[in-house]
Amino acid sequence: MASVSPLPEKIPGIQKAIAVFWPSFATAIVATGLFFSAFHPRDLIPFDLDLDVNPLAAYSIGFFLFWLLGILSSYGTMYFIVSNCQVLNKQQD
Amino acid sequence: MQPQNTNTVEPTLYAAHKKIYPREVSGYFTRLRMLSVVVLLGIYYLLPFLQWNGRQALLFDLPARKFYIFGLTLWPQDFIYLAALLIMAGLSLFFFTALLGRVWCGYACPQTVWTEAYLWMERKIEGNRGRRMKLDKAPTSAAKLRTKALKHTVWIAFSLWTGFTFVGYFTPINELGGRLFTGDLGPWETFWILFYSFATYGNAGFMREQVCKYMCPYARFQSAMFDADTLIVAYHPERGEPRGSRRRGTDLKQAGLGDCIDCNVCVQVCPTGIDIRDGLQYECIACSACIDACDEIMDKMSYPRGLIRYTTENAAVGKKQHILRPRVMVYATILLILFGTLLTNLLQRIPLELDVIRDRNTLYRETRDGLIENVYTLKILNMDSKAHRYILSADGIEGMRLLLDQPEIEVEAGSVHELIARLQADEYNMEERSVTVEFQLQAIEANHLKTTEEARFVGPGKN
Repeated sequence: MASVSPLPEKIPGIQKAIAVFWPSFATAIVATGLFFSAFHPRDLIPFDLDLDVNPLAAYSIGFFLFWLLGILSSYGTMYFIVSNCQVLNKQQD
Repeated sequence: MQPQNTNTVEPTLYAAHKKIYPREVSGYFTRLRMLSVVVLLGIYYLLPFLQWNGRQALLFDLPARKFYIFGLTLWPQDFIYLAALLIMAGLSLFFFTALLGRVWCGYACPQTVWTEAYLWMERKIEGNRGRRMKLDKAPTSAAKLRTKALKHTVWIAFSLWTGFTFVGYFTPINELGGRLFTGDLGPWETFWILFYSFATYGNAGFMREQVCKYMCPYARFQSAMFDADTLIVAYHPERGEPRGSRRRGTDLKQAGLGDCIDCNVCVQVCPTGIDIRDGLQYECIACSACIDACDEIMDKMSYPRGLIRYTTENAAVGKKQHILRPRVMVYATILLILFGTLLTNLLQRIPLELDVIRDRNTLYRETRDGLIENVYTLKILNMDSKAHRYILSADGIEGMRLLLDQPEIEVEAGSVHELIARLQADEYNMEERSVTVEFQLQAIEANHLKTTEEARFVGPGKN
């Protein structure tokens, strides 16, 4: 039997979206928890910047920044896997 | 490679989604599952309203950076306890999976629980499986729009309540409710209520089994915990095959048929849309709906129950079953050790912390009496639920004196007190330029509340 080709172009968009947004979401929750148990949001703002930041806002923004980083990483992983599969498929044809 | 080969590649993981209309089912396991759903949802929606010692019993107070879990108050320093709890939750999942298979998926996973709740609402509004399928196929009409609008309104209302409750675990829920009615919700509170509501609405209303199939990591690796003695939901092919329709009272031997009448009810009730008769599949969340459905049919046909039943791989082929086996024992042992360690640590945990920071501006100062003086900023963290008065002492250098503004330090419950402490010592008694000294903090009238913290005492040094 011929080797199974992964057919990345057949992966539905919704499943690609899950692969990018979902693991990064779970990682962001863990990262936010770890980060903010070590650092108080108050200590992250430079002294000369006279900002009164609501903790909930700080945690939320922190969470979204972590999520964004995770999204970039997951997107990179997906991009490389999909494009590598395309290259492999071409070599097989 | 031939081009048509690419079309025959195993496509199951990425098959286009077909909407699943699970048929309603009744029976022993369904009642058990419903009981689990009601109890778990009850806990979720009512727990934030439970009070304990005059405050919310379970509150992850993010702004104040304190987690209240009944009588226990956890600070960011106690993150390790939460991590241990999470690890224990994970290990329990391993343990129960090895023993009972995917009992978590079928009875306790939030995805299952909320999906059942949303499905129940859908049934009450749109009717049974046949009516729901007919409604979806029907051309747009005022009646269809009305039914759909009603369903989504009820779903959204329930989602909003869910989101509100979720945020109520992080902000005192009674105040949150008050602000909701006066329209004073903060922007981030509003955002998270909506975010969680949207996630619930999407996951329980639309994604449903897709979450289990494509998003759940546990579904992918649970087979690693399985062995031949793990409880599974399985069809009995020797008894059922060859399947086929027949009239009631047909002599099976004569007709050459097995017990399966091929009515497809087991497929229709399946929330993930699989056919259990194809064998154990990773999509199967072991909800046992097919067991109840098939038993009902078997009763109608006057056949014995259990054509689809809870069994183990060993039991199915008539081998001896083992409940206590190395895998289960290992999971149980690790779990017990972790639990014991956590409990001992929690019981011995002293809700008091002392931080000492040396004055960074001056290394030391010489007093009029010729003594060396070091200045420290002390932070006393009273993590107890009561206020306490403390006495501070220090040693490390012979004849060293501790100077404080007041002899006793009072710290309110759950708060931090900052004070300046000065140490004075004779340079003659210092063996080195920098000596380790120790601060001791002891609560008055509570002997077990004591802690120590080391610091450096710096002098000019002997030359």
